[in-house]
Amino acid sequence: MKMLSQIWAVIVMNIRSLPQRLWMSLAAVLAVTVVVAVLLSFLAMANGFAKTLEGSGSDKVAIVTRGGSQSELNSVLSREAVNAVAVAPGIAKKADGTPFYSAELYVVVDAIKRSSGTEVNLPLRGIDQAGFDLRDNVSIVEGRMFTPGNNELIVGQKVLEQFTGFELGKEVNFGKSRWVVVGVFSTGGNAFESELWADARTVQDQFRRGNSYQTMRIRLEEPGNVQGIIDTVEADPTLNLDVKTEAEYFSEQGRALRGMVYFGWGISIVMALGALAGALNTMFTSVASRSREIATLRAIGFSNVSAFFGTLAESVVLSIIGGIVGAVLSFTFLDGMTASTLGASFTQVVFSFELSPELFINGIILSLIIGLVGGIFPAWRAARLPVVVAFRNAA
Amino acid sequence: MNDFYLVWKNLTRKPLRLFLTLFATFIAFMIYGTITAFQAAFDSGVELSADDRLVSVNKINFTQPLPISYVNRVRAVDGVEAVTQMNWFGGYYQDPRQQLIMMAVDAETFLDVYDQVVLSDAERDVWIKDRQGLIAGEAVAKQYGWKVGDRIPVNSNIFSQNDGRTSWDFVVDGIYKGKNAQDDTNSVYFHYKYFDETRSFGKDYVGWMGIRTENPELNEKVIKEIDDMFANTPFETETVPEKVFNKGFIEQIGNIRLILTSVVFAAFFIILVIVGNSMVLAIRERTGEIAVMKTLGFQSGRIFRMVLSESMLLALIGGGLGLGMSTLLVGGISQSMPQLPTLIMKQEIVIKALCFMVGMGLLTGIIPAMNALRLNIITAFSRQ
Amino acid sequence: MTDGNLFELKGISKRFVKGKEAISIFGDLDMTIKKGDFLAIMGPSGSGKTTLLNMLGGVDQPTGGEVWFDGQRIDKYSEGQMAKWRAGNIGFIFQFYNLMPMLSAARNVELPLLLTNLSASQRKKSVDTALELVGLGDRAKHLPKEMSGGQQQRVAIARAIVSDPKLLLCDEPTGDLDRHTADEILEMLQLLNEKFGKTIVMVTHDGAAAKYAKHVLHLDKGEFVEKDLVA
Repeated sequence: MKMLSQIWAVIVMNIRSLPQRLWMSLAAVLAVTVVVAVLLSFLAMANGFAKTLEGSGSDKVAIVTRGGSQSELNSVLSREAVNAVAVAPGIAKKADGTPFYSAELYVVVDAIKRSSGTEVNLPLRGIDQAGFDLRDNVSIVEGRMFTPGNNELIVGQKVLEQFTGFELGKEVNFGKSRWVVVGVFSTGGNAFESELWADARTVQDQFRRGNSYQTMRIRLEEPGNVQGIIDTVEADPTLNLDVKTEAEYFSEQGRALRGMVYFGWGISIVMALGALAGALNTMFTSVASRSREIATLRAIGFSNVSAFFGTLAESVVLSIIGGIVGAVLSFTFLDGMTASTLGASFTQVVFSFELSPELFINGIILSLIIGLVGGIFPAWRAARLPVVVAFRNAA
Repeated sequence: MNDFYLVWKNLTRKPLRLFLTLFATFIAFMIYGTITAFQAAFDSGVELSADDRLVSVNKINFTQPLPISYVNRVRAVDGVEAVTQMNWFGGYYQDPRQQLIMMAVDAETFLDVYDQVVLSDAERDVWIKDRQGLIAGEAVAKQYGWKVGDRIPVNSNIFSQNDGRTSWDFVVDGIYKGKNAQDDTNSVYFHYKYFDETRSFGKDYVGWMGIRTENPELNEKVIKEIDDMFANTPFETETVPEKVFNKGFIEQIGNIRLILTSVVFAAFFIILVIVGNSMVLAIRERTGEIAVMKTLGFQSGRIFRMVLSESMLLALIGGGLGLGMSTLLVGGISQSMPQLPTLIMKQEIVIKALCFMVGMGLLTGIIPAMNALRLNIITAFSRQ
Repeated sequence: MTDGNLFELKGISKRFVKGKEAISIFGDLDMTIKKGDFLAIMGPSGSGKTTLLNMLGGVDQPTGGEVWFDGQRIDKYSEGQMAKWRAGNIGFIFQFYNLMPMLSAARNVELPLLLTNLSASQRKKSVDTALELVGLGDRAKHLPKEMSGGQQQRVAIARAIVSDPKLLLCDEPTGDLDRHTADEILEMLQLLNEKFGKTIVMVTHDGAAAKYAKHVLHLDKGEFVEKDLVA
């Protein structure tokens, strides 16, 4: 217990003397702040992207694509294939007893990104009422649903935020075909909100897709169970299709930004090494400027253990302050910020930066490590300061 | 002994501090060099695009097709020297998660339009005559270990053959080099004819057209003529200079440039704070010595320059080492990951880095140097 | 100005403001220093002796009055001119030696020569001569921290004389040394004065040290109270 009170006394002494080394200490804090902010930006970006895609996938819905096509864009399904799959067991039934599925088209069109003013790829999804009903949380928030057979569009909320020219009532040209925006829909913030939706048959017509579709979404009787559909597909030699739950499909695509996470950690660790150099510099200077005080305490009977932990505590406190400031800054400025990038289907996915408590903890841990490593060597020096320093001249 | 000796002795008097500040600078410039090389590689598609090349795509979006008949109609346009059709294949070799940049082209016109694809005459002749032949860039050939003469199957995740197979058989007829070091050699090209005859859907359509004009000055006229020619047809075109197309393509991914620039900026900011601080501290510790030098008759300006030289030297040594390290890193990454665009430590990067080093030396040295300049002998001694 | 005078101070005043209080150190001080003199200035702390020495050394300037050095009026010099003048005419010896810790003895002595146009070989010769003179020819490569206080002060003396200045200014040169070493240093100053004709002004509060000088001036509250005690 005596040891603890000694350590406490030294810690208090160190922290009280911090203002004397204000700039030096601020520099160390700032360095850690920047490192943590950089780390959290990357993690928040990757996290937000993954969350958006994962939020898009339901395990109550199966998605059927052509074998090996990997994304909706690359897939093609004939009407016959759709009909063949529709009779598979395990598919939920609509109120009228018919199988609950949606055959959809996925066409890429040009849009202008607000932030850069450049042309980007946006998905136009051909869909019908079943596709609308099949998705959870979907609702028209403004305007109305498109009328089948008309060149009418409804647009996702995030499309409005990120791209220009899709405001309610606007006329939109895709090549020669003209469309009118009649509604805005929400799907609870997931990837579908980065899409334009229109009547599937009209899309087939306008984009010369004949009777073909690209994907089929199926409401499952039992969430997660796609075995019945797989069995049906495998039993039919004319069908070469991939069947998985929508949740699976999107979580695979969510990995696209995983590289971002590695890059973010890599760059942050390298930068942390730079910040560590700053922390070490600060702490060595701190020990040097307090060497007489430390030696004097030792002369009157304080142990070298207290000198060690006192110095270590100073370093850790500074680093953690830096870490918290960095985390708060990135939370304030980044959390909820929206951006868009190319997703796996070669179209823009709008996502928000999202800082979670786990990420926050990652940032604090990184700052703690900088503080510990940056403090331990100077602390060691402090502990080994000869007591005789106390009696030397001020020179 | 000269002033440089004094500067050097001052710089090296505290080896630990010197090491730490050098290390911090080293890190900053290592990040700078590596990230800028990546940026340059991203930009190289834009920078290396030829002024006399155009890309003509479906106006709706470049993933929408165009009829093959357009190729001959464009060829007839005044000012067009060569035109070739291209079609994205969605190919992969063995691993479906590793996409090949693979396109079906018309071999002869393709080589006319894209002169940065360099083949030996022998390889060229073989490829043009070989229906199932493909040519692969050095980088992609290295990645998969392909040699000329290899027979390889390539799958498509978009197309299938008439018999339902998604796999095509090819012969590697040539391995092409780039004209410039940064030219992309990650792509694979094969015959459109083979592709069109065997695929089960989409026949007689092409993805887009690559066009070479006789003269970049004709670009505008050619663009207008092509787009007017197809206006009000079911397949309107949008023709743009290659540079514009490539730029737009990169920007689809998002503002990578901004992200990377922010990281570099953050790294520099940290290092500036750290190094600047320790310079201020180092000079403050030397207050007495500077006062003595002034007393001996050293002019303030000379001391100012010596302090500034010290921070400059620190920035140049640390920065130089960091830049050297990033050159090694960039070379290593390029060697071990051929699928990435070619990373090169270009001269501009080095020159810019040197400017940043000088700038950092000035910034971190200016405050302590001003302190030294203004240092009053009497107050300095009375503080001692 | 009569020939034979190195320094002439006429009606010197010095005031400065400390906080809200104006402090006057000298009101109207006159002083002459003859060439070849060895002058000790004594006085209690706060008497103004260090300020006087600073003005003689050109690191401080009077508020009023005139300072003449060897026929030149120097009190209106700019900072840069002053530095140049110091480099050419004055050698300084400080109480705490004030050597550069990262430089060897020889490099420390060489430092003032960087302010001259001498070539490297000429500089080396001057450094060797100066070090020999103070009896440290064998310590040329040693760092200050590897030498005793007396040795360090002798290096400082070598540094002060290496560029052959007319005047040596010593601020408590023996204040940090034991009696025996102090005597050695003072004997060396005496030798420089008698054999090499250096004019020396030494500020000290040590009566024993003052005995080595030809003249002693006592300064109190900005005025000389007794003059020419020894002569």
